[in-house]
This record gives sequence, structure tokens and C-alpha cells, in this order.
Amino acid sequence: MKKILTTIVLIAAVVALASAGDKKLVIFSQCNNGEPYRAAQNASFKALWAQDKDVTFQILDAQQDNSRQISQIETAIRLKPSLLIVAPNERGPLSEVMGKAKAAGIPVISLERDIENADNYDTWIMSDNYAIGKLVGQYIVDYLTKKYGEPKGTIVDLHGLLGVEGETKRENGAFDVIKAYPKIVKVGDAVANWMQSNARDRMTEILRTQPQIDIVYGHNDPMAVGAYLAAKALGREKKMIFIGVDGLNGVGGGIEQTKDGILAATFVYPPCTDKAYEIGEKMMNDKSFVPEKQYNVESMMVLPDLAKKIYKAK
Amino acid sequence: MFTESLEKGRKVLSNSLTTVAGLRQLAGLALIFIAAIILSPRDRDTMEVIFLSQANLTDIVRQVSENGIIAIGMTFVILTGGIDLSVGSMLALASTFAAKLLMQWPTDGDWTTHIVIIIALTLLMTMSLGAMMGFAISKLKVQPFIITLAGMIGLRGFARFLTDNANIDIGFGKDITASFCGMFSEKAVVMLTFIILALIFYIILSRTVFGLQVRSIGDNPTAARYAGLPVHRTLVLTYALSGLLVGIAGVIHAAQNHQGNPNDGVSYELDAIAAVVIGGTNMAGGKGTIFGTIVGVFILGVITNMFRLKGIDINVEMMCKAVIIVFAVWLQMPRVRK
Repeated sequence: MKKILTTIVLIAAVVALASAGDKKLVIFSQCNNGEPYRAAQNASFKALWAQDKDVTFQILDAQQDNSRQISQIETAIRLKPSLLIVAPNERGPLSEVMGKAKAAGIPVISLERDIENADNYDTWIMSDNYAIGKLVGQYIVDYLTKKYGEPKGTIVDLHGLLGVEGETKRENGAFDVIKAYPKIVKVGDAVANWMQSNARDRMTEILRTQPQIDIVYGHNDPMAVGAYLAAKALGREKKMIFIGVDGLNGVGGGIEQTKDGILAATFVYPPCTDKAYEIGEKMMNDKSFVPEKQYNVESMMVLPDLAKKIYKAK
Repeated sequence: MFTESLEKGRKVLSNSLTTVAGLRQLAGLALIFIAAIILSPRDRDTMEVIFLSQANLTDIVRQVSENGIIAIGMTFVILTGGIDLSVGSMLALASTFAAKLLMQWPTDGDWTTHIVIIIALTLLMTMSLGAMMGFAISKLKVQPFIITLAGMIGLRGFARFLTDNANIDIGFGKDITASFCGMFSEKAVVMLTFIILALIFYIILSRTVFGLQVRSIGDNPTAARYAGLPVHRTLVLTYALSGLLVGIAGVIHAAQNHQGNPNDGVSYELDAIAAVVIGGTNMAGGKGTIFGTIVGVFILGVITNMFRLKGIDINVEMMCKAVIIVFAVWLQMPRVRK
């Protein structure tokens, strides 16, 4: 009996540590805290919602698992939050459960990624990955034209998780521009699931087989940095340039890496949190407010000079 | 003389504890249930305890179903003194295989028959793969850990190979895949599948010759062999059974997620093993019950729900679960000192 009591007291003590009062509840279902871009989103949201004294803000981390994110949202619905923000892990699997939240009368924001059925959210706050891809494509063409006097050269393409909207559009945007120049050839193509460590391994394999590479395009900054580390290990990092997407500010982010010359350029994919906070607050407090179906947050290209100007350690 | 009486006393105590073991597990679940009620937030409008609402309780059953179905098979495997590390990869393979067939195998007309055939093929595949692992374990005498570890790696590769790394989304149009998802993602269907399977395998383990053979092999493999038990056949059947159950979980997984995803199911084997050991099954084999495993599955499910309702960080949840697993096993240990 003593054992049982000890167990229950322990559980109760831990759970009681975090209890919410009678405030409004805002729940953010994050697909994976493990990526730097997501960590930046979380930090930004925490700071933004801390301004509202009558709001309790909770983050649920699905750890890149669709089933877990579905279950977490399912349980979140029972709590009747005043606002639900979801960064869906994938378009298909999360569609149904977000619809259930909306049907339960909870205002639902789809953050950054969309889902299969657009009826299942109130508004989608995003940045246009296709437009970013096109910026990247144009940069690649310009860089190679400057280097060789004509648009020709070799590129390596490092993909994130396949099937995700961001991945597909960053790829299509860039290559819709590049395909007009047949002398620009893709010599390496690998899936590194957004992860620096995976990119390093894939890039090492590519470097072993490709003697000549001009540009490495990582669909996010960590993958571009992973590729840089692979090239550096083989003493080839000065023979090519590395470009990435995300452009997070702060220590270890793409802006810092561009400032330090590791990346030749990063393309800012905004965390969209400012806009989500602005719209979310209106949806919660003003019942007559009807959000637009989609808000587009602008991107930009950051080269080393600009990176030095805008870099902030914190 | 003294040691003899001590040994006698130990046996009596051990036996009596084994008979009430089921009740003790239930007491553990009941206590966690009470803790969840006390700690549950209340509904903003009705002031009802959210944890106890029918919607939330059925959510829990739905959420634990996949792990529960896998854990039933895992119980049989562990009872033979083995382990099945391949279940996560097998689930990914089953869901991907079913989704691929649904999307790419043309049908004209009878969707229901088509779906039944696809499910049967999926289950046949996972069962055969399980049987193959059982065969290797029994005939090659390689440890189950190694054979199923190889299975875990190989099946993950096979699942990714099938779809060229991509996911297959299903059930978003008005086609056969939508009909499939509609059938098997229904909360009631998921829950009933789990409950019925638990009942069937409870009976198989506790009331049939096969169940007795499974337990005997784990209890003392050499004795089982000398007693003329069909050790080889039983092992092959046990791993085939695990494969079959994982296949069923995989089909439900595909329907519920509207997707066949070759990267899903990572670390599912650990969740299943955790449920089995919390349920009091001896990792060395021989002793354990389906009832215990189901209790273990629900202990994990209720704890997860309790933490989620409180909005507690998932990392804290994982650390607490670790402590709870150790506590649960400690609680269930026969209190006998040497």
C-alpha cells in the first residue's frame, strides 16, 4: 500500500506543477519541436502570447508523428480552447482531425502548411514556398551566368521530407526557373528529411562521385550547412557555394551562417507567427471578424552584406 | 531445516501473489484513473470533469487501440522468451502496402469485395513475414532479438522501397480509398476491433493447448522440448500471430491517418513492450496474461491523456512515463527476498 501511495503522490506532484486557471486557452499544435525553424516559431509565439495576460498558451509537440498529432488535437478539442493553431505535420493525415476541431466551434488556424481539405480550417497563414523557390532558381541562374559568362554549371539538390507542401514547392519553384537553361545540370539529388546530420551523410556520398559541383541547394538552412560540413571534411568547401532556405535570425540560424560566409545566401521563410498572433487575437476577441481564407507573409533574399546588417544574436 | 521451511514459505507467498496479480494490476490502473479524475480540468461551460466525459474516454480507447493490438501479439512473443522488434516497421509496411494496393489496383464495381481482398493480402503478407522470422528463430537458433532487429531494418527498407520513399495519401476523393477510410477510421470500429481481438486472444492464451504451449516454452524451453511439445511449430505460429496482429493494426493505421507512410511506426515496438511489462509479463518468458497487457496499455493511455489534458510538455511526459514504468514493474514484483 505504501508503494502505491508513493507512486500516486509522485504522479500528482508532477502533474500539479503545471495547472491552468480560468484564462482563455490558446493551443498550438506544433508538428516537430526538433527543427530549428520550429523552435524559432515556438519562441516567437511564447513571447507574443505572453503579452495577453488573460491567455494561457500551450504548445503540443507531435515530434514528427502524424498519429501523435492527431491524438493531441483530439484531446485538445475536449478542452474547448478559444483558439487552435496547427502546424500540420502532413497535409493528408491532419485534415480530418482539424475539421473536427472546426466543427466543434473552435477557430482553427493552419500555420505555414495547409491541409488536404481547405474547409477544415478558418484561415491559412503561410509564406509562399513556390515564390521562394523561384527566388532561389533566379539566384542560381544569375550566379552561374556571372561565374561562367553564360548560364551553365552543376548543382546538388537536397530535399526535405517528401510529400510536404514546402518541400514540393521549394523544389518546383526553383526548377521551373532553372529548366529554361539546359546547360545547368543537376548532378546530385538526395532526400535528407530537413536534418543537418542526414544532409552531411548524403552530401558525402555525392562528393565521392561528383568531382565538379558549383552550387548546393538545401531546401532548408540546416541541410545546406550539413552539406557544407561534408565538403569541408573533404577540403572542398571553397570550390562550391551553399544556399539554403529559412533564414532564421539568432545564434546558429541561417542569417548568422550567411554573415559568416558558410552560406552564400539564405532565403527567409518567415515563421508567420506575428501574423498568426494578430489574426488569432482578432478571431478570439471579435466575434464579427471573419478572417480571409489565406494570408501570405512575404519572403526575402539575404546575402552576406544584408546578413551582417540584420543579424541579431537574440 | 530452516532453509527448507523458508523455501516452502516463499512458494506459498509467490503462488498466492500470482493469483492476485491481476487484481493488483487493476488496482494500479484504478489509482491512475482516480489521479486523472482529480487532476482533470473542468469543462468551461458545463463544469463537467473533462477526463470522465464519454468523448474523452472513448478517445483514450481509440488512441491506445493500435498499440493495444500490437501488444497482444507482443505478449505471446515475450511469453515464449522472445521479443519482436520488427513491429514498428511491419506496421509501416502493412499500411503502405494496403494504401498502395487501394490506390493502384484498378477496380470496377464491387468495392467491398475489393477492400476485403486487399486487407486479406496485407494480413497474409505480414503473417508470412512473421512466420519467416519465427522459422529463423526456431531453426537457425539465432536469438529473437537479432532476427527481429534484422526484420526491423529490412521491413523498413521494403516499405520505403515500395513507395520510393513517398507517402500515399488515401481517402480524399469519392473513390474506393474513401470508402476504406470511412469504414476503418470510424471510432467505434477501431475500438471494437481492439476489444474483440483482446477477448479472442485472452481465451486463446488462457484456455487453449496452444496458449499452454506458448507459456511452457518460455517457462522452460528444454523441459518443453523433452516433454515432446511442438516447440518449432509453436514458435513459428507465435511470430506469425504477432505479424497478423501488427497487420491489423497497420490497416487501421492507414485508414485513421488517411495515408500509407513508410516512415510511420517508429519506436512502436517500445510502446508495445512497455505495455506488456507494465502488465506484469515476465521478460524472460513463461508468466504473463493478456488481461495484464490490456491493463498495461490502458495505464499508459490514461497517463498520456492526463498529461495532455493538463497541457504538460511532452518531454516531461516521457520522463514521467519512464519513472512510472519502473514503478509499475516494481509494484508487481513478487515481494520475496532471497
